Amino acid sequence: MPLNNIKHGDTVLEAKGITKRFPGVVANDHIDFEIKAGEVHAILGENGAGKTTLMNILFGLYQPDEGELFVGGENVSFKSPLDAIDLGIGMVHQHRKLVPAHSVIENIILGHPKAGKILDLKRAEEEIHELSRKYGFKIDLRAKVWQISEGEKQLVEILKALYRGAKILILDEPTSALTPIETEMLMESIKTMSSEDLAIVPFITHKLPIVLGISERVTVLRHGKVVSRLKTSEATMKRLAREMVGREVIFRVEKEEVERGAPVLEVENLSALNDKGLTALKGASFSIHEGEIFGIAGISGNGQSELVETIAGLRKEQEGKIIFNGQNISHTSSLERWQAGIGYIPADRIDVGSIGEFSLIENILMNYYFDEDFSNRGILDYKKARKLTNKIIDEFGVATPNPETTAKCLSGGNLQKIILGRVLSRKPKLIIADLPSQGLDVGATEFIRNKLIETRGEKACVILISEDLDEILSMSDWVVPIYEGEIMDIIPGEEAKREGVGAMMAGVKLEEARS
Amino acid sequence: MRIAGYKLTLAKRETLSGLQASMISVLAVLTALLLFSLIFIQADVNPLEAYKEIFDYAFFNSYGLPLTINRFIFLLLSTCAFIIPFRAGLWNIGMTGQLYAGSLSAFAVMYAFGVKDAKSAEYPALIIIPLMILAAALGAMIIASIAGYLRGKYNVNEIVVTMMLNFITFWLVSFMIKDGGLFMNPGGRGESFELPASLYAPLYKGVPFTLIFALGFAFFLHWLFAKTKLGYQIRAYGENPTGAEYAGISTVRIPLLVFIMGGALAGLAGYHYFAAVPGVYKIARSYAFLGDLAFYGIICGLIAQANPIAAIPVALLFGGLTNGGRFVQGKMHLGFGIDYALLGVLMITLVAFQFFYRYQFALTKAEKESPDV
Repeated sequence: MPLNNIKHGDTVLEAKGITKRFPGVVANDHIDFEIKAGEVHAILGENGAGKTTLMNILFGLYQPDEGELFVGGENVSFKSPLDAIDLGIGMVHQHRKLVPAHSVIENIILGHPKAGKILDLKRAEEEIHELSRKYGFKIDLRAKVWQISEGEKQLVEILKALYRGAKILILDEPTSALTPIETEMLMESIKTMSSEDLAIVPFITHKLPIVLGISERVTVLRHGKVVSRLKTSEATMKRLAREMVGREVIFRVEKEEVERGAPVLEVENLSALNDKGLTALKGASFSIHEGEIFGIAGISGNGQSELVETIAGLRKEQEGKIIFNGQNISHTSSLERWQAGIGYIPADRIDVGSIGEFSLIENILMNYYFDEDFSNRGILDYKKARKLTNKIIDEFGVATPNPETTAKCLSGGNLQKIILGRVLSRKPKLIIADLPSQGLDVGATEFIRNKLIETRGEKACVILISEDLDEILSMSDWVVPIYEGEIMDIIPGEEAKREGVGAMMAGVKLEEARS
Repeated sequence: MRIAGYKLTLAKRETLSGLQASMISVLAVLTALLLFSLIFIQADVNPLEAYKEIFDYAFFNSYGLPLTINRFIFLLLSTCAFIIPFRAGLWNIGMTGQLYAGSLSAFAVMYAFGVKDAKSAEYPALIIIPLMILAAALGAMIIASIAGYLRGKYNVNEIVVTMMLNFITFWLVSFMIKDGGLFMNPGGRGESFELPASLYAPLYKGVPFTLIFALGFAFFLHWLFAKTKLGYQIRAYGENPTGAEYAGISTVRIPLLVFIMGGALAGLAGYHYFAAVPGVYKIARSYAFLGDLAFYGIICGLIAQANPIAAIPVALLFGGLTNGGRFVQGKMHLGFGIDYALLGVLMITLVAFQFFYRYQFALTKAEKESPDV
């Protein structure tokens, strides 16, 4: 094995002139890349920049059309991921591939050649224990996977690769599902691992602070080409974003001062159950005024979906009142709330926000079919709907061949633009945006944030739900951490501090957080 | 696969025009007939001759054609009764029960006018026939709405409910027409009382006016789904119920509504066969046969890809083949069940050919740099 006797600073993996073509696109265009033992070398790029293709080539899922790979100085070619694994390359996928009902150990040895036909769990446990101590992982090896957090699952995936002898770790969007605290912990672990001579290649779409925090070098891809290669010490957020997107990106979203208007939404002591019948939202009370962005910060599953679904009329409230424009709307249907001027951008744009088999015109109609302007005695005005669709496509820069395209053919960013355009074009008084930029690249995220901020000028107000603290802090007039269905505090935007809000998202009480 | 310097590959279809879809179906029918020739050959019958007899009798014979048309009307109504809930993603397996309920309701109207006891009297057809049709639709609607309501309100599986209702109504018909039943034939032959001649449905050239219903509803449904708000709501619910709920479409109302509409059409199918087809004019002892036939509505609906216009030729073909197949079985002294076997082969082939709705073969010139192996 070429990687058996490597020393800190040896080049372990080198790619020269990697090129991969797919019908109509060059996904990777003469990419050069190298990584040394003990180094973290991040690969940065927007969706569609060619990251996934490169990752799959490094892991043996694709064979390059041109170019060569060297592992520990030897020219290699992978027929399948097994070849890559045998040479010491480990991959940690963005979507966890673990068996929830099995324990951590069982998951780690699953598929390991040493496991053989008879399981020697005891020896495996000792070995894995040793491994996790070496890299400073704190993890209960006997816990079932369904019991552990997303951050721990990530560590299990990493341990699994290490246990198979990986010397080079490829991490696909390593922090995409983690809380701020888990992210910190993972970054620590990555630093420890690289100090132990492992080579680590994280592939990252957004979350530029992670890149700056952990890596020594960065390679930025755009349109399948390497656009820059730099030491992280020379990089800044602004520079990385510019290289990635190809133009200047403003991080501090420009917010004009907007006069605080009349209250639009008043919520009093609102409680709701989740789908399992358990109380998921506990007595929320707040009010939002014209021109305000109310940013609810919390990790998924802490009652924020229940809160917005109750306000949108899709979930029955257990207790409490919802007052919109001075009217009690607690007992009205979701349709009546759309008509009254509430617009809802759901978190799940594929299963809730759109209908995959429908054309874009029919998708636009989802929020318009009930309008009197769009139907005459029960007959829909498809001509008008097409006009509106074309207008939204133009205004929101949706990349699509025509409005007849089905929604399932659009990329995540374009689909989100269709949904956003559809909701905003109704000029709602209250916009509920649940995870509006989740999974989108830097360009689309910036666009969507700005569109939401623009609505403040039209005296609308926004409920923004996000797991991304930067998004909440940069956009919100009120920052509202939520934990286990309870609103922890309502903090004016300019006074909100990252650490305090992050701690409250993780359940630290207000008094403790302030002290 | 390579053939003489050309490369044959399977590619995913991006689009499928109506013309391509119908070409594929025609090809499927031809393939099915070709496959079934083997059975005829095995039975020492010339397949060409057998097919000629089947199609002659089904479509060009003065005795056979009216039978085919009556089956066609029945099948098309059953197919539409299946298609409406199917566009909302729901399976109506209960056309059988719905048509029984419709028939009983139509006969109840006659019973109320005293037809059972005074068969020879003259009745005001202009009043009673519309009432019978209305009752048939209404009775079937009520039965079907049980399934729709349970589905919408309590998420009870509609397949199970409609299936159970089939059994209930089957025995209900039996109870009504057999010994001592309210609608019993005075002669007591295990069938219902007969229609008086004055209440026979109007015919045009031997074809009952119910043909207008069947064709009319097929076109109406096409328009409903393509143009109207209700059609949009049904389709949205069918494609993505969560998305539909998000858009404010009632997830209780749509299941109820599609079963009410589908049930009404199945009820009309019941009216058609037991009160409008010349030579029948009663709920016959063999009423179970029509209940079975109604299941072909599912097959026709699936083959037509839930398109009510495409259902017209499909129902016509199936109506003709059930009819011609039975005829040729008697005429050529073939084994029992040839007609069912023929339909079975046809069904399987049609379903198998749906593969080509999504994929197509592409013939391209093989590249020079990759020589044949």
